[in-house]
Amino acid sequence: MKKHLWLFGRHAVCASILLVAGALWAAGWVKYEALPTGSSVKIDGTSTLHDWTVEGKLIRGSMEFEEGVEIDPTQKTIPGLKEGKLNARVEVSILVRSLKSGKSSMDSVMQQAMKQKEFPTIDYRMKEMVLKEPHTSGTPFVFHTKGELTVSGVTRTNLMQVSIDRVDKDKLKATGSTNVKMTDFGIQPPAPKIAAGLIKTGDDVKITFEWLLALPAKSADASQK
Amino acid sequence: MMNKEELSDLNRREFLKGGSFATLMALLGAVELRAQDQPKAASGTTEYKTIGNPVNCGVIGCGAWGREILKNLARLPNAPVIAICDTYEAYLRRAAESAPKAEKYTDYRKVLENKQVQAVLVATPSHLHREIVIEALKAGKHVYCEAPLATTIEDARAIASAAKAALKQNFQAGLQTRSDPQRHFLLSFVRTGAMGRNVMARAQAHKKQSWRRTSPTTEREKALNWRLSNATSNGLIGEIGLHQVDAASWFLNARPLSVTGFGGILHWTDGRDVPDTVQAVFEFPGSVNLTYDCTLGNSFDADYEMYYGTDAALMIRENKAWMFKEVDSPLLGWEVYARKDSFYKETGIALVANATKLTAQGSNPTADAAAEDPPLHYALEAFIANSDAVGTGVEDFAASFNVNDTKALREYLTGLAKNLSPFAGYKEGLVATITAIKANEAILTKQKITFKDEWFAL
Repeated sequence: MKKHLWLFGRHAVCASILLVAGALWAAGWVKYEALPTGSSVKIDGTSTLHDWTVEGKLIRGSMEFEEGVEIDPTQKTIPGLKEGKLNARVEVSILVRSLKSGKSSMDSVMQQAMKQKEFPTIDYRMKEMVLKEPHTSGTPFVFHTKGELTVSGVTRTNLMQVSIDRVDKDKLKATGSTNVKMTDFGIQPPAPKIAAGLIKTGDDVKITFEWLLALPAKSADASQK
Repeated sequence: MMNKEELSDLNRREFLKGGSFATLMALLGAVELRAQDQPKAASGTTEYKTIGNPVNCGVIGCGAWGREILKNLARLPNAPVIAICDTYEAYLRRAAESAPKAEKYTDYRKVLENKQVQAVLVATPSHLHREIVIEALKAGKHVYCEAPLATTIEDARAIASAAKAALKQNFQAGLQTRSDPQRHFLLSFVRTGAMGRNVMARAQAHKKQSWRRTSPTTEREKALNWRLSNATSNGLIGEIGLHQVDAASWFLNARPLSVTGFGGILHWTDGRDVPDTVQAVFEFPGSVNLTYDCTLGNSFDADYEMYYGTDAALMIRENKAWMFKEVDSPLLGWEVYARKDSFYKETGIALVANATKLTAQGSNPTADAAAEDPPLHYALEAFIANSDAVGTGVEDFAASFNVNDTKALREYLTGLAKNLSPFAGYKEGLVATITAIKANEAILTKQKITFKDEWFAL
């Protein structure tokens, strides 16, 4: 009997070690960092004179997924989702000054309207992402996301659809767009008076982004080129 | 082209205003095209300024042209001059009139040590540019280097190479025509093919003047008259013709293949060795050649450029331009209503940008422009705006990613380049300088010199 108990006990110990190890292993995160080139964020707006666009190429931030969670669009779904929710951490930061219209005078006006000196960045923090199902394997994953968007010191909840595609085994591309109102963030749409009359900038703007992220390269000298 | 509605609006407005020639032109649907500044945003519901960030400037070389630069910088709202430098103290005192708050220096190195100085403008004698520009680039400053970049090919290449390597800084060559909005307007007009096929070009600069500067001391007089010695100057073509030949290269969209030159000292026999009268023929691809002459002995007809095409000729004088059509060239339509000016035996159609805008604002597009800004103003405005754009671009990249990732930084800055105001960079500066140096060589030796690609490769 003792012999059996010891055997059982040994298995129990092994089993519990494995269980604990498994739990610790699942608690690891895999972080994709924003790449310095290849990304783009556009803000499209209107005015009584003409439509306008500003574009930035610097999107800082990261996306983290739990270790072992494969983001593989060739598959039907992502393993480990709870009610479609993917456990992920997403943080984004865009310098207001990096948004360019092509005319330095317009950039100047935009920076003042957004109080750039006081609030130099547009920030986003994701709170929840739910996979839109059914997903056709071979197409990018589409998520319903909920997050906090902070512009000019004002934070508002943001809901948008984001697509995530795998570019190669170490690289992901996230794309999406969202419509916001300048006044929702306390920004007064510029309305300058020029010789031809008063121009009013439209309150509604559309933010569109394409964001490239990658796992950090294995070699230490990856950044030196 | 205006549509019917716009036309009838103009008709009513002009008719109500009265006036004679202007009304007639407007009633006929006047389409004048004259480059005009955008109106500044006046205060309204929001009062955001359109002025960019200030860029602290240091001007090195306060002779006549350096002081011209200072006068123009004083008119820019975002170009505070905090340092002026010259080895000659009398010039420093005179320069201080345009920059009373600037600190005075006699040693350019001290200007570069001043951490507050973000950009330096180098307007010293041409043969002294090299050392100052290269040190300024090493010191991390944005640099405006007057044209010609240098007086020898070796020096010009050294400056261009240093500018190319200074990724994080803005470099502009003093070819101010390249920033002139009137020229850009004319270029787009030329590119529509309205002139037909180019057959040749001509340019001249005539002014009876000695070019000699006087000074109280012999030593100072020698230093001041660097232009009159072949050892330190590329003569009329190197200092004057440079801009016109560069403008022609720009218009013809090519670099000269060869240059043949002639010249001599015909009038100002005061001990100088630089010719006072020169002629040069520049061979361009397709045999569209440019003949250039410049003299200090006669003033007739002053300065102008001509471009001859099979459908029309284009004359550019200062900031005005005219088109002279061939009798058998196709009608463009709008020319029927444009203002026409008479020249000896020829009728020129005035090319004025933004005519419809001028009329809509209530201005008279047929009147002569009020004191317009000189090309130097636009060149400096571009330099300040671009220096700020490059500087803040590097800062933004550094705040977001690894600034030592040269490849990525270069890609980012190249992407920003399309937003920059038009300017002559190190490439244009190098081509124009080498062209002028070789043209001068041809003039002095009365020979034909064929251009080699390797002179221009960096």
